[in-house]
Amino acid sequence: MAAGVTWALGGLPPAQAQGMVSGKLLGLREMLDPIVAGALVVRTGVHIETVILADNGLSVPFRVWVDSPMTAQDHVTHLWLLSQRNPVTVMAKLHLGPHMGRAEFSTRLRLAGGQQLVALARLSSGEFRYELADLIVTEAGCVDGS
Amino acid sequence: MNHLETTPTGLARRDFLKVSATTAAGMSLGFFWPTQGDAAETPKLNAWIEIQADETVIIRYARAEMGQGSRTSAPMLVADELEADWKKVRIEYATAHENLRTKRAYGDMAAVGSRTIRNSQEYLRKAGATAREMLIAAAATQWGVPASECTAALGKVHHAASKRSLSYGKLAADAAKLEAPKEVKLKDPKDWKIIGKSLPRVDIPDIVTGKIRYGIDAQVPGMLYAAVAACPVFNGKVKSMDASKVENRRGIVKVLNLGEFVAVVANNWWRAKEALREVAIEWETGDNGQLNSAAIMASFKAGMGQAELAVARDDGNTVQALASADKVIEAEYYTPYLAHATMEPMVCTAWLQGDKLDVWTSTQNPEGTLAVSAATAGVAQDKVTVHPMQLGGGLGRKSPQDFTRQGVMIAKAMAGTPVKMVWSREEDIQHDLYRPASLVRFKGGMDKDGKLQALHIRVSAPSILATLLRLPLPKGVDGQAVASFNDHPYDIPHSLVDYAQRNTNVPVGFWRTVGHSQNPFMRECFIDELALSAGKDPLAFRLATLGQKSPRDVAILQAVAKAADWGGPLPKGVFRGIAETEGYGSYTACVCEVSVSDKGDVKIHRVVIGIDPGYAVNPDNIQAQLQGSVVHGLSAIFWGEMTVKDGRIEQSNFHDYRLMRLNEMPEVKTVVAPTGGFWGGVGEPTQAPLAPALCNAIFAASGKRVRSLPLKNHGLSLKA
Amino acid sequence: MTQARFDMPTQVRAGEVFKLRLLVQHPMETGYLLDLNNRRIARNVINDLRCTYLGQEVLRIEPSSGLSANPYVEFFLRATQSGEIAVDWVDDRGERGQVRRTLTVV
Repeated sequence: MAAGVTWALGGLPPAQAQGMVSGKLLGLREMLDPIVAGALVVRTGVHIETVILADNGLSVPFRVWVDSPMTAQDHVTHLWLLSQRNPVTVMAKLHLGPHMGRAEFSTRLRLAGGQQLVALARLSSGEFRYELADLIVTEAGCVDGS
Repeated sequence: MNHLETTPTGLARRDFLKVSATTAAGMSLGFFWPTQGDAAETPKLNAWIEIQADETVIIRYARAEMGQGSRTSAPMLVADELEADWKKVRIEYATAHENLRTKRAYGDMAAVGSRTIRNSQEYLRKAGATAREMLIAAAATQWGVPASECTAALGKVHHAASKRSLSYGKLAADAAKLEAPKEVKLKDPKDWKIIGKSLPRVDIPDIVTGKIRYGIDAQVPGMLYAAVAACPVFNGKVKSMDASKVENRRGIVKVLNLGEFVAVVANNWWRAKEALREVAIEWETGDNGQLNSAAIMASFKAGMGQAELAVARDDGNTVQALASADKVIEAEYYTPYLAHATMEPMVCTAWLQGDKLDVWTSTQNPEGTLAVSAATAGVAQDKVTVHPMQLGGGLGRKSPQDFTRQGVMIAKAMAGTPVKMVWSREEDIQHDLYRPASLVRFKGGMDKDGKLQALHIRVSAPSILATLLRLPLPKGVDGQAVASFNDHPYDIPHSLVDYAQRNTNVPVGFWRTVGHSQNPFMRECFIDELALSAGKDPLAFRLATLGQKSPRDVAILQAVAKAADWGGPLPKGVFRGIAETEGYGSYTACVCEVSVSDKGDVKIHRVVIGIDPGYAVNPDNIQAQLQGSVVHGLSAIFWGEMTVKDGRIEQSNFHDYRLMRLNEMPEVKTVVAPTGGFWGGVGEPTQAPLAPALCNAIFAASGKRVRSLPLKNHGLSLKA
Repeated sequence: MTQARFDMPTQVRAGEVFKLRLLVQHPMETGYLLDLNNRRIARNVINDLRCTYLGQEVLRIEPSSGLSANPYVEFFLRATQSGEIAVDWVDDRGERGQVRRTLTVV
């Protein structure tokens, strides 16, 4: 996988939405609420490693891990990878358990343009935690963004 | 700072590229300016502005200059708010690797979509204003006076009450230490001093004297040259290659089979190109070698009748309105595939040294170049340096990175040696990402008063977004294919725009002005057909149909009509045509005055073409874009056409893809009519109204209604 | 039966957390693209992937079209006892795939 950059928990400017790319950009709550149903979500303990700049969205390396001892008493039960812009918001839903030893997952995503990605974790305590990453997919074209 | 002075063999009449080995700021200065002092000593007020002790104000430019002039006008936005002395401004490129390193301090770096000025104006002006406030604050501190009593102008801060002044050069170091203000107030447009002035483009002297460095001019010590050939049938691959005839020739270093293309690497480009002709290549083309223009047209026609259509606009009940209309006018229009034919063909010089990659190329998308180069070479993105170069024309071709990918693949195969890959003109014309051909059917429903009530526009054409960008299309609509149809400004109760996506094996891409380059031709010619069917004057019909809802369309139409003296007397045999359209946030209109001989010679007596871009940052530049659009547009209108036979493009060079000649240039009157209150693009929309205005004039002059381009297919030729 | 490449250590120490990597050959058709006859290519993605260890499901992934073609997944397991590790998946068309590996835990 290409070398990535670990995202700090700092604020980053959102990916510029150029009118041409498919779909609308969802807000954070729009992405989370169908899953957490208004429950408290804390931005902590979840880490994303991915490229800042992708030449196209077809295969973007993505790694996510959650701080967790992964014991029977304290582990991550679910991980959702959410897209702000894709036609299908939930890119993957994972069911995890203490047997995994580590709450970490790597894959390659297919993205419909530059956007924010959210990794949402549910702990065995019922608590939700998340992290987000801002990704630029360099647009190839003279599209009328107006 | 170290400089590698390179003297290329055989090119003594030109200056050479100074490549700086390291700079403290991490940027490569890839052009011929003497460096002044160490970059680390120059106070940086923010990512965009550095001010030197000698008062030089360095302003960064983060996009790509391809003749559209934004390398001058974007820094003007910074300089105005900064209250800099433009004579002291020096413009330097921001680089893609610097943007990566600073987590995108320079924002979007692509020069596409006519959006450099309109998308960056706010943050560029803020950068200037922020720095100005910091300089004022530094002076105020030094003087012990309130900042509110100080003003800035022409590179100096003044305190009128005590008659004191300090120049920016003297203040910069202190100002750079201050915290940037969170909020700044931007100037009212009436207070602009630099924006709105027709300042000469900063690159013109170098262009005229030959000092300018285009991508094709890159010189790196020890460089080899590569000529390439990809499969003439699109999406084909190399099946077998026999280079035995040329491998051992003088100067030939290597012949590479890279799967999708063959590259000959030699010690000069001519040798590489000549040798390539004698490499026996067998291509794997699959079924794609059957494709021809007739089959493509048949596919488009099938799309017209297909059941599954994407609906781009649906106002009222168009089908019903048409069924009950007093008169229905129907017409089918067609525009062909077009090649970009930038003056500078595709080029890429790349040098892979271990895990480090340097790339010199003409690109409209330096970040895309960085990402693709890194992925292709298999190196980390932060080890890639994309050296900014001036483009010898972009026109939308040099934003996709297919050619840089080739260049880096070659560099990877020749790891350790820099290789300059240049496409021949034939390779360039035959491996383009063409403007999609488009078949469009119009149905207009008129009432008994000759008013347009219903409009049904059906488009059968390839989708750039779905094929080139592989984007999923919401509701199946490619906005580019239906541009100027789904957003037409006419105030009518019933509009239906639907789209049949008909992709072919001919690859498509963004040709300057994209959907707005051919759709306005069709729309505005059809509007004329409707007007004339109702016995109405084309201008009056448009004004009536635009109604009250589109005041800016009305304004530019009237401005251009007035400038052309529409309705006024003309010499015998000369007739006028008019068109109006919008795109990229701006509004454009055009009037053409032509006479047509019996033999079909079209003499264009005058083109009056105008734009309302909201604000005109550099009016002279906009005038140049209008004039240039006439050149670019007329070439396409009269002769531009790609035909397909046996799966390949038949055209190969300018003998069969004709461009306009100097003596054929008509008189052009430009109208730059900014109405303020919005920011619209300029680079592309200036093209849009020309074709319909011309074809409407041709109809007025000859009675010949042209519904497809190019004009040469209708026996019409451009008379010098 | 879809092709796949599966990489994991065959022998680990008890309690060790080890990495498993799987690359499945599958187009993960989004359903948005047209073929060259301009007919829509039906959506077909791997929609369920499960890993079982010692007969117990330890990880389940429900991908959508948001994973790229030829999906790659990398995850971890804690070794307890020697036994079979199985990964099974199914796509929208009902086509199944699987890999099996015996893990030796010392």
